[in-house]
Formats: sequence, C-alpha cells, structure tokens
Amino acid sequence: MANQVENNTKLGIFVLSGLMVLMIAFYMIGKNHTLFGNNFNLKVRFANLNGLTEGSNVMFAGLQAGTVKNIQLINDTSIEVTLLIDDKIKDFVRKNALASIGTDGLMGNKVVNIVPVNQPMGKVENGDMLMAKKAVNMDQMLQTLSKTNSNVADISEGLKTTVLSINKSSVMGILNDKNIGSSLSSSLKNINKATLNANQITASINEMMLQAKSGKGTLGILLTDTATAENLREAIAKIRMAGDNVNHMTSDLNKMVLDINHNLTSGKGTLNTLLRDTTIAKNLKASMDNIQKGTDAFNQDMEALKHNFLFSGYFKKLEKQQAKDKK
Amino acid sequence: METEKDDVLTKPGTPLKEPVIVIEHLYKSFGDNAVLKDFNLIINEEENVVVLGKSGSGKSVLIKCIIGLLKPDSGNIFVFGENVPDMAHEELDRIRTKMGFLFQGNALYDSMTVRENLEFPLRRHWIGFSQAKVDGLVMEALGNVGLKHAVDMMPAELSGGMLKRVALARTMILQPDIILYDEPTTGLDPVTAREIDTLIITLQRKYHTSSIIISHDMNCVKNTADRVVLLLDGKCYTEGTYLDFEKSTDENIRQFFE
Amino acid sequence: MAPFSQTKKFLDDTGSISRFAGHFFSIGIKPRYEIKELLAQCYIIGYKSLPLIGLTGFIMGLVLTMQLRPSLIIYGVESKLPVMIGIAIVREIGPVITALIFAGKIGSSIGAELGSMKVTEQIDAMEVSGTNPFKYLVATRILAATLMLPVLTLLGDAISLFGAYLGVNIHTVTNYHLFFTQVFQSLSFGDVLPAFIKTFFFGFAVGVIGCYKGYFSSKGTRGVGNSANSAVVLASVMIFVIDLLAVQITDVLGLN
Repeated sequence: MANQVENNTKLGIFVLSGLMVLMIAFYMIGKNHTLFGNNFNLKVRFANLNGLTEGSNVMFAGLQAGTVKNIQLINDTSIEVTLLIDDKIKDFVRKNALASIGTDGLMGNKVVNIVPVNQPMGKVENGDMLMAKKAVNMDQMLQTLSKTNSNVADISEGLKTTVLSINKSSVMGILNDKNIGSSLSSSLKNINKATLNANQITASINEMMLQAKSGKGTLGILLTDTATAENLREAIAKIRMAGDNVNHMTSDLNKMVLDINHNLTSGKGTLNTLLRDTTIAKNLKASMDNIQKGTDAFNQDMEALKHNFLFSGYFKKLEKQQAKDKK
Repeated sequence: METEKDDVLTKPGTPLKEPVIVIEHLYKSFGDNAVLKDFNLIINEEENVVVLGKSGSGKSVLIKCIIGLLKPDSGNIFVFGENVPDMAHEELDRIRTKMGFLFQGNALYDSMTVRENLEFPLRRHWIGFSQAKVDGLVMEALGNVGLKHAVDMMPAELSGGMLKRVALARTMILQPDIILYDEPTTGLDPVTAREIDTLIITLQRKYHTSSIIISHDMNCVKNTADRVVLLLDGKCYTEGTYLDFEKSTDENIRQFFE
Repeated sequence: MAPFSQTKKFLDDTGSISRFAGHFFSIGIKPRYEIKELLAQCYIIGYKSLPLIGLTGFIMGLVLTMQLRPSLIIYGVESKLPVMIGIAIVREIGPVITALIFAGKIGSSIGAELGSMKVTEQIDAMEVSGTNPFKYLVATRILAATLMLPVLTLLGDAISLFGAYLGVNIHTVTNYHLFFTQVFQSLSFGDVLPAFIKTFFFGFAVGVIGCYKGYFSSKGTRGVGNSANSAVVLASVMIFVIDLLAVQITDVLGLN
C-alpha cells in the first residue's frame, strides 16, 4: 500500500512538471506576443508595406515593443497599419516619433521601427497617428554605391586627360618652379592612388553585397545586425563625399588648365608673361595645395574605411594575397 | 421437469436434493463448427458431476456458457432458477458470486502477488469489506489448500501444483455454491493430480458445494465423480457412475481407459 | 483473390478497431470507474517511460543542432539556429519522435500484456470475478496512454531543447537566457497548441491499437508476439496518419 502511495506521488510530480513546462511555454510565448499585458494602439500610414504582415513585430529603438494588429488599404498610395504597443513603453514614445518599415536582419521578417526624433513633444496616446519615414532599402544603398563608384571612375578618367593635356602642352617643362612641379606630380600620384583605392573598395563592397544578397559569405551574418548596416551606410556616404571632393578638385584643375590653354592658344601673351604673372602662379599653387589636401583627406577616408571592422577581413585577405603574389 | 429424473440421478442413501443447474437444449457453434447440439444436463445440490469428453468436444464451451463467458446460440441454462443467457452484465456479476470457476491454465494474474490474486474477487464483488475480514478470508482460503506460507509470493515463483492450489483457493474464496472445474488435473504429474483431486473432494465436503468437473483423465473421474456424463458429438452420449463406465464395453467409453 | 481478401481483412480490422474505440467511449465513461487501476497504469505508462523519452529527446535535440549548424553557417544564418531548432522540435520532431518511442514501448507492452492475459484466460478470470475486463484493463490503459503521452511530450520537448542548448554550446558560447528567448520568440500559440493537442490523439491511437491487438490476440505464444508486433507497427503508422491529418487541419484553420 505504501508503495502505491509513493507511486502516486511520483506520478503527481511527473504530471505537474509536465504541466509546468506547458505553462512556462505559454507564458514565454505570451510575453513575446503581448497577449497577457496591457496594450494601446498606434496608427501609421505607409505607401508601401514591403511585405509587412499582421503579427509582425514592432520595435521601439530596437526594443520589442508590440505587434502589427491590423492592416487596411486606404487608397492606392497609402495603407494604414494599426500597431498594438505594450503599455510599458507608452511614456517613452513621443507624438513626433517616426515609424519606418525595416528588416529584422538582412533577410529576416519585416518589422516596424519606431524611431524617436530629438525634439520635445507630448507623449503619444491611444489611437495616435505616427509619421512614416521612408525605409532604408538595401537596393537603394547598392544603387548609391554603384553611382559613387562610376563617379569615381569618371573623375579618375577626367584627371588622366587633364594630366595628359598638361603634359602635352609642355607646360611642365616650361614651368621652372620646381616646387609647383613636384607638388603637382605628387598630387597627381596621390589622386591616382586614391582613385585606385576607391575603385578597389567600391568593387569589393559590390561583390560582398552581391554575396550577401544571395545569402552567402560572412557578410551575411554581419549585415543582420542593424548597427553594421548603419556603419556601411556611413562608409558609403564618406566615399561619396570623397568622390565629391575629388570632383571639385578636378574641376578646379580643369578650369585652370583650360585657362592656361586658352591663354596659350589665344596668344593673349607669351608664356613668360603668363608665368611671371604672380596671380596665376599663386592660383596654380593654391589649386595644387587644394588637390593635395583633398586627396590626402580622401586617402584618410579610405584608410578609415579599411579599418572599419566590416571590411577589415576583406582587406586582410587582400594583403595576404598580395604578400603571396610577391613571393 | 426436475422430478421425473430425480430417482435416476440421486445416489442411493442421499436425501433428495434440489437441482442447482438445469441445462436444456443447449446449442452452440463457432462458424460452421457446431460444438453443442441439443445438450441437456441437470446438476443437483452437493453433487460432483464429471463431464468426460475428448479434446475439442466442447466441454470447456459448456462450462463457459454456464458462467456466462460465452453466449449459447439457443437453449436455456438455469442457475438457481435464473436463466443465464438472458442475463445482463450486472445480474451476471451477482450470480457469479455464487459460482466459482477454476481455469485450466489457472489464470492467476501474474502481475499480482498471491494475496492480491485472492483479494481481487473479494474486492470486486463485495466492495466494503474491512481489511481484517479480507485478510481473514485470504488466510482461510490459503489454509484450506495448505499454502499459507506463499501468501506474498508472485505466481511466477510457484510450481505447477502450487499454482493450481492457489487458483483453487481463489475459486473458493467467495465460498460459492457451485464450482466449475476446467480440467483441474491436466498438465500435472499423477501424484500432484491425486492431491488436487483429494483437495477438491475435501473442500466439497467442507463447504457443501456442487461441482461440474471437466476432464478426460479417468483417475480424476474415479477420485471425484458422483456421476459421469460422456459428451460426444455435442450431446450427452451416456451417463452413470464411475463403476458403470468401468464395466461398460462401449467403444466410446473404453477409449478413455486406454 | 489474395488482394481482395487482404483488402477485406484490412477493412474488417479498421471497422473492428473503430468499434473498439467506440466501446471505450460508451462503456468507459459509465461507472464504476477504475481510478486505482488508472493511476497505476498512468504510473507505469507515463512515469516509467520518462527516462527513455528523456534520453531519446535529449539526443534528438543535440544531434539535430549539430546537424543543422553547418548548413546554417553556409547560409550565414547561424544565429537563427535556436529559432530553427525550436520550431522543429516543438512543432514536429518532439511530438512525433516521442509518440513513436511511446508506441514502441507502450504499444508493444500493452499488446503483449493483454495478449498473454487473453491467452492464459486471465481476462476471463477477471470477468468471472465480477470485473468488466474492458473497463478494468482496456479503458484504463487507453485513458492512461491518452493522458500521459502529452505530458511525456512536453517534458521530452523541454529535455530536447536543453540538449539543443548544449549542442549550440559545443561550438559557441550562448547564454541560456538568450537561447530560450530566441526559441520562444519564434514560436506562437499556433505552433504549440496544435502540436500539444495532436499528442492526445497519438496517445489515444497507441492505447486503442495496443489494447485491441492484445484483447483479440490469437492463442499461443506466437499470437502474443504477433499482437505486440502488429500493435507497434499499426500504432506507428497511425501516428504518421494522424500527424498528416493534424497538419492539414491546422493548415485549413490558418494556424501554420
């Protein structure tokens, strides 16, 4: 008899532990899906949902804040999305917060991101409508990148012609000012290097992006992190800035060379007078300085890009390969 | 209906007894195989009747019909005046408290100890017995078969003869008025078989029970039978005492002595 | 005419099992209730199966993790490992593997036990002793199997996930909190509830088939062996059939 009581106790423990697992599972799931807590509604209108569905997660500053409750088509350009938000974060969302549709990772589910804006505003209330922010799209990023890339290529092409034309015009030989001559040639070297670098980097980024898009490579994991994506965007912006700089410089240079050419061909004066004209010489020198500065900055940017952890692996590999090639 | 044969059926010197089981026109078949064809039998109070028959002659089917494990195709089986084939489950349970059944293979529950085996019918039939009363009945039944020491053993630990005695104790524990024995000595050595036969007779005298014993073993018949019935082709071929059978020259009877 | 008779036998069996299951509902729900025997059976069927279910579940979780990992690394989504494991175990592998192991252990033991009781006339003896053997032996076992398999599955799932957690930690270090948060983040009630509910049907199928095969066992030791064997085979097949039905039902209900 005692044995039977003991067996029944064991059975009781067994069944209760099973039920406890069930309860824990329900609680954990419920917690994630805000079924048991108090909620309030927010609304936001998007032009394009990019595949957002009911039940998708809502993130506030990267924190799980709720789910998409309802999706309603208002007209051909706007879709109203009702968000079910956890009461706990109500005090932190302001009326001017922006909502955007993002991706949970590179290929993950679509999520609604609520991003706070750094301006004082009242707290949201139930049923408030939030402003929508255009989504950052991987495709757009890639497009920008390739545009920058071709820009850089154009610039380097332009530089090449300029340099050639300067060489041809035999200005170089005539220029006695050694300072200007050496600074010009070193600047040109710098520019060359910079554009080469830029080309290399953009090409490699492109390649990696393609890999990431097809789901291969270590970049795929890295890009699942939104912080990494942010880094990438910054890097691309820097490249573009550098490209703009180079553009400016080359146009300066172009203008100058055109001026020189014009002066030479129009016969407005001899070369000597030209070179003695201190304003022009000064101009030329200043331009050269500019170019040097610009290319230096560009090179620095590129160097910074190299050290960005995102690309460090790639460049390390490149260095290794170069070392190997040298051997 | 029961008086006409009374003079034939009762042994001389015993007082006139009431019939406890009356079987009339019993038919039972399994598919195309007709096992019992118009079988008739009357068992009187405190009478041991041996039903003799070859294997597959339908002896076991007969007693399973009596206790309600099988339903006959037609015919009546009156036990204490109540017709068993017509009974519902609850009524059967009630009448079964008055009947014991000793299975051929003992049918002891091998997941239970001897004590639990014996307690089982007690607890199932009469809920509300005190533990002391149950214990008393168990020990009395085991004492009757001389196996008090085996009370906490498992059936698997017992020998064939002991198993048969435990099964007998379980059959007797409700102190039934009628006991049906399905080949009680089959598979036992002659010495043990004789012990069991003696036990059956002893207990029958002690509790004044009536019995039907199914057997093809003439030693068993000799030891236990007040009356012998030969079951042949689904019918009651002949009946008489053991001495009648021993003297008989009938071919169908002689074969059991060989 | 072999195919015809085989088909007829199959239909016969199907009909008999359905009637047997119907019997469970019509007789089993009426008093008197065999509570004591039910608890004893729950103990044997449930509690005593836990070590086996736990062991297989643990290994399943561990192996599944180690097998999935390389593929996920190739696709660069190693961080999704807990998510995949969670869904795989909770939705399909946990219930089905547990049910199959359960069918192997309990289906055969019920089949063999009832079969040998039938052959040695213990079932008849029970009936003579004023006990409805269907209630006492069959209904209790079916009910115990129906109730215990879900509990076993829940515990098996938990142990499986623990195994998976260890499997993840063989190569990397993952906080258990992060692991389980990720597992549960990917799960919804639509994943857990159908998986949980279908285990009741698995348990019922194992119980009914084991009891049916044992209860109608043919004579002799061979009959007992056959009933144990066919109980396991049929119960395993039924588990897959029920699984198929379950996935279609959840699909129709839009829970997938």
